[in-house]
Amino acid sequence: MSAAKSAVFDVPSEDAIARLVDDFYARIRADAVLGPVFARAIPGDWGPHLATMRNFWSSVMTASGRYKGNPVAVHSRVDGIEIEMFDRWLALFEATCRDLFAPPLAIEFQAKAIRIAESLKLALFYLPDRPWPIESPKDAS
Amino acid sequence: MTFVVTDNCIKCKYMDCVEVCPVDCFYEGDNMLVIHPDECIDCGVCEPECPASAIVADTEPGLDKWLKLNGDYAKVWPNITVKRDAPPDAKDWDGVPEKYEKFFSPEPGQGD
Repeated sequence: MSAAKSAVFDVPSEDAIARLVDDFYARIRADAVLGPVFARAIPGDWGPHLATMRNFWSSVMTASGRYKGNPVAVHSRVDGIEIEMFDRWLALFEATCRDLFAPPLAIEFQAKAIRIAESLKLALFYLPDRPWPIESPKDAS
Repeated sequence: MTFVVTDNCIKCKYMDCVEVCPVDCFYEGDNMLVIHPDECIDCGVCEPECPASAIVADTEPGLDKWLKLNGDYAKVWPNITVKRDAPPDAKDWDGVPEKYEKFFSPEPGQGD
């Protein structure tokens, strides 16, 4: 519906979070790099994952306490996850927020996503004997 | 990066934080809580919930002692995910300086 597409949310309501999650994961599944990784991690029905992510963002943005889980453990079990993928994830997330939300709300969501992504990267890839942040190949001299 | 619980939690222990934490990373001592640095995802939801403003981002300076204390006791104290009543005199202790030096207890709390 074009009317629904043009909606711009300015508070993190249930509707706003549901739209974000649906739209964002549609982009993830269509992405050439992230799509296959998610498809392996979630081979069947995406309904439960989308519900989990609605609860997660509700907890993070509205302190609703609806999500209780261990995302570090979940991500550590994902096959084929690479540190550069977090930037790609964040770019898709930012684009989705920009399309759906008024700028201040989009910035609020993105700021949370950046911090959470950084902590997941640290949890999954940090080793005491190598520098942090890890240089991406294009930056390495 | 993580958030850490600092001095003003001691003897206040309001526990509002544990209800909102999406990843259940609070651990309970006898008279304060700590955050497990390896489990915290830095979402920051707990920070404004603390009535004693005892939770701070670890990017603030001068937190070495608290980073170590949170990391050390998170490994030995029990997990707490459900809020109980704060101590009846919690309000009286809010803002009292140097509570760590005078009152910190290494004993575990009851947990969930």
